[in-house]
Amino acid sequence: MIEKGIRLGTMTLEDLENSGGLGAAVRGFSWFYLGPEFCENLLDASVCEEAVRLQGLGRKICLLTPMLSEKGARLVDSVFKKLLRLVRRGRLDAKRLEITINDFGALELAKRNRLPFRLNAGRLLYYNVFEGAGDWLKIHNGLALKFFRELGITRYELSTTGIRPRTNFGRGRIYGFDPRSFKVTLYYPYLNLTSARACMLGMPYVPPEESAGGVRCARECRICPFEINHPSIKEKLVLRGNTVFLHFPEKFYGSEKDLAGLRVDRLVYCPFP
Amino acid sequence: MKIVSCFSDLKELEPLTGAGAQEFYTAVSTLPAFGPGFLSGAALKPAIKRVHALGKKIALAVNAIYAPATVKKRAAIMERIRELDDLGMDAFIVSNPYIIGMFSDRARPLRAKLYLSSVQPVFNSLTAAFFAGRSGFSRVILPNQLTPSEARKILAFCGERGIETEIFDYRFFGCPFVNGRCQLHRPDYYTLRSALPEGSLCRINAKPGALVKIGSLETPARAGELPGLVKRLTFRLTCGRAPRLSNAATFFDFFRSGVQYFKYGTRRDPPEIKVRKVRALRSMLDLAEGFSSSLPQEEARRAFIKEMDKWDGSGF
Repeated sequence: MIEKGIRLGTMTLEDLENSGGLGAAVRGFSWFYLGPEFCENLLDASVCEEAVRLQGLGRKICLLTPMLSEKGARLVDSVFKKLLRLVRRGRLDAKRLEITINDFGALELAKRNRLPFRLNAGRLLYYNVFEGAGDWLKIHNGLALKFFRELGITRYELSTTGIRPRTNFGRGRIYGFDPRSFKVTLYYPYLNLTSARACMLGMPYVPPEESAGGVRCARECRICPFEINHPSIKEKLVLRGNTVFLHFPEKFYGSEKDLAGLRVDRLVYCPFP
Repeated sequence: MKIVSCFSDLKELEPLTGAGAQEFYTAVSTLPAFGPGFLSGAALKPAIKRVHALGKKIALAVNAIYAPATVKKRAAIMERIRELDDLGMDAFIVSNPYIIGMFSDRARPLRAKLYLSSVQPVFNSLTAAFFAGRSGFSRVILPNQLTPSEARKILAFCGERGIETEIFDYRFFGCPFVNGRCQLHRPDYYTLRSALPEGSLCRINAKPGALVKIGSLETPARAGELPGLVKRLTFRLTCGRAPRLSNAATFFDFFRSGVQYFKYGTRRDPPEIKVRKVRALRSMLDLAEGFSSSLPQEEARRAFIKEMDKWDGSGF
């Protein structure tokens, strides 16, 4: 049975409610993916209360965390501590909350805070274990899986555009892994091609005499995504803040059986990149 | 600061030393390494000898993130690494956690040192702590998308543990996208209409007019900002450049903060360009050292930036 999730992205729970879409989303999806996946400037502790509310509506939560500078690491640390307080007060069920990690610093913080939540390797970390392309998906080898398993991670989040990508999962013995030892969450219909720190959209130019303190922006990414008609390729690129996505709106898998062959047991729909 | 230069041919070593290189690194296609430009595998043994004869150190990049390997191939990689270790390779540059794990085997430790590649970017001191706790790194190569102010805690962490740090020359390595997390160079994800300029999607050769289109508006109250944003994006994606965190000021601040190594690493550059670039690194370093030793620090910083502002990048 494939679980279904929705990633709210730059939209807050309040935005979703105001748009009249909350009821349909709660009916259609058992998992809600909250928080910024790619940029620390969007980190906000209010996501903890959103998690409480959605758990109250019977949904499960996956909290996304982005790449982190020291500033972002402090914010993630405070979010982790707030989540722990909510669990201690009985307002959050630790078993129905997962944290997705996109920076090894966040993994270190999870360890230091002794988080009781299940951890996942996100779309900026999965490549430490997988190599993927349009029509194939490979696991580097058993040691890569073991490294993450020892850190408590057995679920990997990724996007793939292929309908039935060829894998090396059936040759796990040769590569030294058991294909039953991991699970995959598949995001669609946008594949993150690349991310920057200095945001293409929001960050002003830094003059030569200025040593930037960090990445400044006015959260321009919240206004809208931008489509880029690259003259050299047929597909549409979409830029949201610091990340460039490839849009693949067509159906990207044949059947649930095909997904099971890829170890996919959860699909996450992203209405926005 | 010491200058670290790449090389991909034995003939480059003496001229690069003459230009100011104080340490070398290379990569071979038979071991998993990031990026193009390889020394032939057979040249590694003579390279180690020649670099040592020049009184320098040599590192080998085994820093591919994507490094699929069967159990058999993995064993072969490790066997080759041990051979190179025995031959006197001074350091291995690594990024993928499984390779880091293989190289950090406590039961059979390598004599050579381990450097953490910028392809596994360290943007915070917690990441440095994460990897330092799992392997015996002696150097962290910092990503170019990090400012000196953001790096302060990383540098303090490394300094306390005797871990060296290294930065790239901002003039010769300025990709805005995070190294090792970029799929723009992977054409298997998209369908080509025409050849990509310089083989990558990030070099967009387009007329500005139709390049950027506004997607669905999510914050109508800020719609007034859109024309400016479209203009900015169009400029950055075509004739302009993406915003960069590294510049003359950041170099000076890193220099002052005690970073020990300064890298030039475009292995695919032709030999003569490599030499000119290493000379440019040496000149910039001389300038920073000169101002720093003769002027009060703020004044030295201003003078350095003013001088570097005149730097002409054409011809590289």
